[in-house]
Amino acid sequence: MSELIRTPSAGRPLAALGAARGADAIMAAIVAETGSAEFHAKGARRVEGQVKADALHSFAAAMKSRVGFEHLSAISCVDWIAQGEFELVYHFWSYRDNCLVSAHVRIDRATASMATITDLWMPASFFERDIHEFFGVVFQGNTDLERYILTDWKGPPPMRKDFVSRDFAHEHFQYKDYEPTWDEMIEGGYRGSRDKTGGAE
Amino acid sequence: MSSIVTANNGKDIMPGANAPENREYNMFIGPNHPGIEGNFALKLTVEGDTILKAKTEAGFLHRGFEKLMEERLFIQNIAIVCRICVPDPDPNEENYARAIESIAGIEVPRRAQFIRVLVLELSRIASHLFTFGGHAGTIGLYTMPNWSISDRDRVLDLFEELTGGRVYHIFNMPGGVRRDLPEGFKDRVRKVMDYIEERLAEYDDLFFNNKILLNRAIGIGVLPQDKALEWGATGPDLRAAGFAHDVRKDDPYEVYNELDFEIPTERDSDAYSRLMVRRREIVQSINIVRQVLERMPEGSVWNKQPNPLKWRVPAGDAYVRTESSKGEYAYYMVSDGGVRPYRVHVRGASVTHGVHILEHLLTGARIEDASQIMFSLDACPPEVDR
Repeated sequence: MSELIRTPSAGRPLAALGAARGADAIMAAIVAETGSAEFHAKGARRVEGQVKADALHSFAAAMKSRVGFEHLSAISCVDWIAQGEFELVYHFWSYRDNCLVSAHVRIDRATASMATITDLWMPASFFERDIHEFFGVVFQGNTDLERYILTDWKGPPPMRKDFVSRDFAHEHFQYKDYEPTWDEMIEGGYRGSRDKTGGAE
Repeated sequence: MSSIVTANNGKDIMPGANAPENREYNMFIGPNHPGIEGNFALKLTVEGDTILKAKTEAGFLHRGFEKLMEERLFIQNIAIVCRICVPDPDPNEENYARAIESIAGIEVPRRAQFIRVLVLELSRIASHLFTFGGHAGTIGLYTMPNWSISDRDRVLDLFEELTGGRVYHIFNMPGGVRRDLPEGFKDRVRKVMDYIEERLAEYDDLFFNNKILLNRAIGIGVLPQDKALEWGATGPDLRAAGFAHDVRKDDPYEVYNELDFEIPTERDSDAYSRLMVRRREIVQSINIVRQVLERMPEGSVWNKQPNPLKWRVPAGDAYVRTESSKGEYAYYMVSDGGVRPYRVHVRGASVTHGVHILEHLLTGARIEDASQIMFSLDACPPEVDR
């Protein structure tokens, strides 16, 4: 094999150095730094809990700077229409502990408003913009909530449970009978097209 | 008789063209362009050859999969999740199946876990070979795409034999995999691995040590480590910045914690480093495939589940992560105890690489490097669109 031009360097930044903590130590650190005691371990390398909506920003800031969760893996949104709530789930990953903390936040579905965390994590910008587009949640302080994927969409935020795509299709599109003529060239015809009996003789 | 001909008879037909306010112009690349990975568009503000500002435009491939999944049975979604990332579909299948297993507490037979790792690593190799071809094409090295994409076909042949599908495999089921290895399959996998390993040396001569690549890729699209972490880079793009994070090691799934492999890293975090991380990952993937074939136990490959048409997954949620060829891949699934998932959120690796990081790296770059930077990040637009 030809010799490659460059040699690798293994290494991690300072943030990832230091002994990895277990779930109990992480939960203790969360209590000490954020005051939130609502967290519990959920399987290997997973910790989850509830955070109040107005406390989320300070919770996230503490998670990043003091608890050591420097990677925002994702923000997920779930529409609990029966309870009249949206659930936002912030997934934080620690490179040091190799553990994921999921913070569940419930917000009112009618007002659908939440504070942004783009000032803490730049990648939050995509997730918040996506949730705004598909669920209609407004992230206060996020300056870029323009439509991204459905730029021509005029309807309601489509991932809301009260938007039923099947009904939308019935209202906006017409059914057409499929009656091709090319099947005349095929011996016996195209099964199931013109012959309503499904091609049975 | 001769006379000096001046353009337009010396008339200034574009008055003010060089005025400062008129020096900038917009340039659109894509959504259908050979230098763009998939249906994706770049809207560039350019002065001369330098990109002043870049905005990405997505949505050309939006299929509404997350909405669709809420209206289909758990079993039906297996056929659509693989379509979320075309070049590397298996992390989707594995993630989707594992999310259900995690919520419902389903055990996966050990043999099935080994087969899943085999499929995931073959998919990684195929995806990297595809990217090499794309990257080479953006800088005018057109032999490499012919070589690497035809070599990728040998991996697709294996997939066809194992799963029935070349590109989309629909192979991972909750509780295991759809079928066992065909007879003699292990030998054919070994042969293809030997072949690709030999070919890597030839790729070095043709591409990785090619002076054109060295001149074009070194120092291009530099993503410093602190920025990579701040902007949420994962996978090979983060490892090229010298940060050895890999979900297979740090959040192990299936049987990765029993396998012996290294995490290649590079230092310079430019387009060349990112390419080299992928090149060296193929060596590791071949290594993993060989170990899997060696150590795969006998036994069943599927923990049979109840009638899929009436199958209810208990209420609960799970966040599962996979290391795809592009980076961190994750599914957040919520079940309300019904026959359909209540919510499935797909977090593709390209939501950070293909949007913000790409926009940042293009700012200040030259037009001719735009495509190369996108390919070096291995951004996959279908993951952004879903």
